[in-house]
Amino acid sequence: MRQKALTTVYKLAKQDPRVLFIGSDLGAGTLQAMREDIPGQFFMEGISEQHIVGFAAGLAQEGFIPYINTIGTFLTRRSFEQVSIDVGLHCLPVRLLSSGGGMVYAPLGPTHTAVEDFSLMLSVPNMKVFAPADAFEMENLLMALVDDGDPHYIRFGKGGETIVTQDFSTFELTPKVFGERSSQVVMFTTGVLLQHCLEARTNLMSQGISTTILHFPYLNDLSIEQVVSEIGSAQLLICVEEHVPRGGLFTQILHEFAAARISTKNLYHLSLPSKFSHNYGSQVDHLDLNGLTAPKIASHVERLLVISEK
Amino acid sequence: MTTNYVELAKKIALDKRSRVLRSMVLDALEGGGRGHLGPALSLLEIVRALYDSVLNHDPTNPLLASRDRFVLSKGHGCLGLFTVLADHGYFPTSELQGFCGFESNLGGHPERATLPGIEFSTGALGHGLSVGIGMAMASRLRNEKWRTYVLLGDGELNEGSVWEGAMHASQHQLGALTVIVDFNRMQASGDIDSIVSLAPLVAKWEAFGFEVTEVNGHDVEQLAEVLGNSRKPHGKPRVVIAHTVKGKGFVSAENSTAWHHKAKITKDEISSLRAEVAV
Repeated sequence: MRQKALTTVYKLAKQDPRVLFIGSDLGAGTLQAMREDIPGQFFMEGISEQHIVGFAAGLAQEGFIPYINTIGTFLTRRSFEQVSIDVGLHCLPVRLLSSGGGMVYAPLGPTHTAVEDFSLMLSVPNMKVFAPADAFEMENLLMALVDDGDPHYIRFGKGGETIVTQDFSTFELTPKVFGERSSQVVMFTTGVLLQHCLEARTNLMSQGISTTILHFPYLNDLSIEQVVSEIGSAQLLICVEEHVPRGGLFTQILHEFAAARISTKNLYHLSLPSKFSHNYGSQVDHLDLNGLTAPKIASHVERLLVISEK
Repeated sequence: MTTNYVELAKKIALDKRSRVLRSMVLDALEGGGRGHLGPALSLLEIVRALYDSVLNHDPTNPLLASRDRFVLSKGHGCLGLFTVLADHGYFPTSELQGFCGFESNLGGHPERATLPGIEFSTGALGHGLSVGIGMAMASRLRNEKWRTYVLLGDGELNEGSVWEGAMHASQHQLGALTVIVDFNRMQASGDIDSIVSLAPLVAKWEAFGFEVTEVNGHDVEQLAEVLGNSRKPHGKPRVVIAHTVKGKGFVSAENSTAWHHKAKITKDEISSLRAEVAV
């Protein structure tokens, strides 16, 4: 996904001289072709996220569209004030391309795991927050929104994700619906957890449990009103996200349910815990520990269905 | 022989225009009943020199594409900037009296969205240099002639982000970038040397790859001459260290932490200050 995002930025930059790439001490050879082809639009700056975000804001103020890429925790935690004031307050088209969303960098420890990035970025006025599910959706997103005047935060997955959004040839801000319109179970998810939810859906279908998945690549406005019929007929609603419990997709759902006067009686939540992990291992290890892999999601749903039928 | 800029800044007499501008600062201060007086007065001649003699700008067209960019990174010195902008006709001088009012365009820190002539909203310190570096880079990328000026407070140099920016400005050889340090040697809680000493300030900037010039920050002619020097787009960025006096022009406010910021200013205090700049 990251590779596709960066090559898409290169493609956009070739077409549009306003598009710039700014890396923060990324791996040697990153976008080497772009660096050689259009060096005036390529910047590899030092380890200085605060400066880089301000630098990008100055460029954007003058009409450029800078795409910044570095590890998500540094973009969101280290440079939060620059993101909020220089970018958010001025509503500038700076793109924050966030490597390693969620537990991707689990082997590197809690300094590198972006588990509260949605919460931080959704709290910044004017910031649009995105979490595509695969490289196909990432490319569509970047191509569709290049001219959007607002700032963007875009969470990357680990890379190599199976393409699951191929039936959606254009990027829309509205939720993508996977499955039948009237199901027993509706899952709400975002980012690469869509993959796990789709697999869980297959497991549940084999048990005779119909399931619809609503994938929200755009987190600011869930457009819940467009999927009210799916929600209203379901026996069980469950939000599945790779984020701490508060401030992410589930919080957004609660806001929109309240606004639309939709009951939360049958709404459940699977997420990362509200704590820093002191385990390492892989992203999948952590997803599994917290019930976010396909088999765990499916069995959790089955248990909840039993409870709800009592 | 070493020039004693501290003494020069202290001794220089203010001309009529500087006294008039100070009386306008008092109009805003009186209207708002609050404000950062000391920080605005140390930078007033710097901003005056820029807008009177150095910057390419047009008050009737604040977004003129070819204008030089000026970022007041030390946003809390905004009373000085507001006064000079009003005096140049960016907005009516009568608006100064609405300072900090609910529906005013003039808040306690400058905002681009509300006031013509404000290049970038500032207030949180340590932001303006990096933004200015982005602007200077934009000018270079488009082969344009306009220059970028960023005014920093000396206390602001405590912020690490300033030095991140300084390294990058030097790395990119942004010759059309001018940083100005309002070196009044004080910050909110006292003398800079008693908090975090900046010494050796000239050597520091030189070590970060800047061309350094020192000036008397209240000498308008010297400021105009130094700041107006032509610059090449590629080359060492420069810093102008402007030696100033916090609260310059008002005996009771000079070098006073009490006048760094006041949230409640009495009419008697305003009357007393006005008497000092009567023209």
